[in-house]
Amino acid sequence: MKRLVGLIVIILFILAFSLLLVVAGESIVPGRQVRWLARVYLNTSYNPWSPYFTVNSPESVTSVVWDYRGLDTVFETMVFYLAIIGSIALARGYRKYIPAKLDYSKLGLSIIVKTVTRITAPLIIIVAASIALHGHLTPGGGFQGGATGAVAPLLILIIFSQYYLIRRGVRKESMLIVRSLGLTGIGITAIAVFLAGLAADVHAYVLQNQAKATAPVSAPAYIDNQLISGTLWFFNIFEFFAVLAGFTIVLLLLTIPEKAYQDGGVK
Amino acid sequence: MDTATYFLYILISSMVMNLALALYGVFYKPHLTKKIISLTILGDTANTFALIIGYRLWPGETTPSRPPVLVGWTHLNKTMLQQYVSSAVDPLPQALVLTAVVIGLAVTLFLVFLALQIYRHYGTLDVREIRKLRG
Amino acid sequence: MIGPMEIMIGITALAALFSTAATYLAITEKDLVKAVIYSAIQSTIYAFIYYMLMAPDIVLVYIPVAVGLYPAVILVLIRKTERWEKD
Repeated sequence: MKRLVGLIVIILFILAFSLLLVVAGESIVPGRQVRWLARVYLNTSYNPWSPYFTVNSPESVTSVVWDYRGLDTVFETMVFYLAIIGSIALARGYRKYIPAKLDYSKLGLSIIVKTVTRITAPLIIIVAASIALHGHLTPGGGFQGGATGAVAPLLILIIFSQYYLIRRGVRKESMLIVRSLGLTGIGITAIAVFLAGLAADVHAYVLQNQAKATAPVSAPAYIDNQLISGTLWFFNIFEFFAVLAGFTIVLLLLTIPEKAYQDGGVK
Repeated sequence: MDTATYFLYILISSMVMNLALALYGVFYKPHLTKKIISLTILGDTANTFALIIGYRLWPGETTPSRPPVLVGWTHLNKTMLQQYVSSAVDPLPQALVLTAVVIGLAVTLFLVFLALQIYRHYGTLDVREIRKLRG
Repeated sequence: MIGPMEIMIGITALAALFSTAATYLAITEKDLVKAVIYSAIQSTIYAFIYYMLMAPDIVLVYIPVAVGLYPAVILVLIRKTERWEKD
């Protein structure tokens, strides 16, 4: 049986590779031109001469992520949410394990590593926030910023131990609240322009950003002469908090010592 | 012979080889941690294929292809926009891969928790021994 | 005819070959800690390939995820379970 599965895998691999070689010359190997759809995206992502098609964001990738293909990304955020919820559900039954005598200064690694981490962890958070806030102008965005920021809690968890974070209020419940606020913000931003259209009694769509020819209501592209590209900026901020808090919850649960599972822990 | 196409074929063939190795790891390695490692390599390789499809060769001998980020939007004119459209790579695969990477990590974390629970119940992560313990 | 474009794609192809070597070592290694480190090397080379393929967004998200978070998570898993893969 095992050998049969192996044989089927090898044969399927050969067939798939020959198929790849056949179509490679036409569509997999890139040429000097991009596809028609890509030209449309590149041409309209920041184009003051066609106001009914533009997103007003110089970053084409963020435009595709949160405007042209916004519904995809909202559902992918839902998949992310479900994966984190699954991890939390699997980690049920833990109690907080706190040893009887807890000396906070003795926990974790040496003082040199701790001092370096005290300097670098806030810097990582600042860089992550700047990546998220500039996501509509330069490469970056909510996903990138959240993933970068999640490195800081990981460093603190490993170098200072878990109790350091928990004592400072970064515990599972508070992070769940932050993440839920982020997800709620994404939902509200998705229907904000639609609700504005309802209020003004004009045609508007869910996940609409800038005004279209048949739907003349748009999120503000500029605030105080600063380009924020309508809903993209809000989406990036909320996604940043959702991703950062989600990863922090899972990392907190992952680094609970095994003793908490074995003898039930101390409440 | 076109040298650039040859190099691109080397890139694609390496990725196909990585895909095959990762599939071998997922199917034939008995340890669950090794299966998780192989699965992430598989996902990353699939993402690389998407990016290779979106790449574009240099439009001219001296004009390189550019990332899909418009530089100098504060003083934009039509010529700059035309140059941008004619030299930037495809933004659509990058947007799809962007979310796939983050969700891949979330799913990997879920699998790590599953493996931890399996270890607590059976005391091992080797699928052959787990099969022996519970038929 | 080797122009600048051929040199760029050639460097990318060389990096891809190295990534295949790192993948092979990661898959065949019996010590799981070493396997994770080989996998992190492969991820670093992939990040370089993404940079050469003109995808700065992917590099920004891929470096913290695949070089920072993911090996650390797997190392925590190995620390809590077992280190050696039996034959």
